Amino acid sequence: MALDWTTALSFLIDGLMLGFVFGVAAMGLTLIWGVMDVINLAHGPLIALAMFGVYLIMNFLGLSNPYPALLLTTLLALPVGMGIYYLAVHRVIDAPHLSSLLATYSVNMMLMGVMNAVFGGAPRNIDFSLGSITLFGDIVVPTARLVAALAAVLIAAALYFFLYRTRVGRYIRAVTDNRDAAELVGVPSTTILALSFGLGVLLAAFAGGLIATIFPFTIFDGGRYELKSFVIGVLGGLGNPIGSLFGGLILGVIEGLVPMFLETSWTPVIEFGLFVFILLVRPTGLFGGKS
Amino acid sequence: MAILEVHNLESGYGEVQILWGVDMALEQGRLTALVGANGAGKTTLLRTIMGLIRPWKGQVLFEGQDISHLPPHKKADMGLVLVPEGRQLFTSMTVMENLEMGATPRRARPYFQRNLELVFEMFPRLKERQNQKAGTMSGGERQMLAVARGLMAAPKVLMIDEMSLGLAPVLVLQLFESLHKLREVGITTLLVEQNVHMALAVTDYAYVLAHGQVELQGPSRELAKDPHVQKAYLGI
Repeated sequence: MALDWTTALSFLIDGLMLGFVFGVAAMGLTLIWGVMDVINLAHGPLIALAMFGVYLIMNFLGLSNPYPALLLTTLLALPVGMGIYYLAVHRVIDAPHLSSLLATYSVNMMLMGVMNAVFGGAPRNIDFSLGSITLFGDIVVPTARLVAALAAVLIAAALYFFLYRTRVGRYIRAVTDNRDAAELVGVPSTTILALSFGLGVLLAAFAGGLIATIFPFTIFDGGRYELKSFVIGVLGGLGNPIGSLFGGLILGVIEGLVPMFLETSWTPVIEFGLFVFILLVRPTGLFGGKS
Repeated sequence: MAILEVHNLESGYGEVQILWGVDMALEQGRLTALVGANGAGKTTLLRTIMGLIRPWKGQVLFEGQDISHLPPHKKADMGLVLVPEGRQLFTSMTVMENLEMGATPRRARPYFQRNLELVFEMFPRLKERQNQKAGTMSGGERQMLAVARGLMAAPKVLMIDEMSLGLAPVLVLQLFESLHKLREVGITTLLVEQNVHMALAVTDYAYVLAHGQVELQGPSRELAKDPHVQKAYLGI
């Protein structure tokens, strides 16, 4: 196959942009794991729910632009996540991992069931286009993807600022580090755990909403992005939310470049091959994380 | 007046009962020791008082108010602070961040600067190391930081679990000397110690815990002369 550099570069840029968005979804998963050692198996359906959230809010309010709906969906995700924590996760927070896996998997099943009943499995599409812009002279990029990538970087920066520069962020890091000790110095650790879960869901929802501005979606799409989040989380280091952004980039590059050389169906093979390889040789992830 | 009272307290882990009706009272401003053999229930008593373990029976009163079933963070807010066994620092944070975490209770925040100066005066080492990660410090430095973090909460009652464990004698002496400063600034302190000799030498009053009950109590100086204490705990 003759390599056309312009095509290669545009595939790469496309992959990188999507990688940032997948990175934000993974951040949500890995934040929750880092703070409370819970793997949120409802991650995927929550991403899908956020896609429908954007779609429904646009229709309900008669908006033609998805971004206000995205903002609203993201804000709503925080109390939804906190609610899931109090209802399903808190009672098994000190139990063995299997209990919290089952608890979040139950949430997954319920969300899927309700979404299937209410929305059905038909694909939806957000009918909105920002057109495209041309970068570096001859590379055409859909503007919505560029906006999504920029938004993803912005929310990652906001998360970093929140965790390292605010009092509540410091509480989250303290609970991550040592929950009993945090409680003993006066941190309401249950509230902080719920807030962290809410933030994880907020990040997943933000990513889901951004993806909805790029691709058509069905209620079943969450599972794909959940799997990507696992791969990215392990690449970046589980429990290291900022590492997820870089993990997302790596995945994005793979997704951008693989289709140039192989059938697209090889992409997951290569991704999960890498996933297993990283788990074998460097289980804390490329950028370190919680062991 | 007793600032912290424990009445007939029972608790344990799972099916195993550890405390079998403990009665204790800490007088305001006094330095009290809680001593006893390994497994006597000292740490369990502290954890039950703080609410890390639920009491099965009995009461904990703080300034006359029943706080038996409050979660630990509410107690810390009120001024009841535990320096836990094994230090339990925030190891991924710096010394300064640990001290800032110590000042979490709302009532401690206005006194942050004053307490920071007090703590740095007590432990100059921490001032030098303020930007170091807590997880990379030596055992003695960590213990200093654990006590310092407790002091940043502006405690009314400070309970310190096994301060001397695993530390060099010089450091132990230095830490015990710093306890007198706590009394000067009006902090009621409960010191849980395996080093009975040292504990009885520096405190005003002491409780001896055995098999989950208070076996003996009295002024520390008198307990140090008690034949049973000498034989069982002081090896004389």
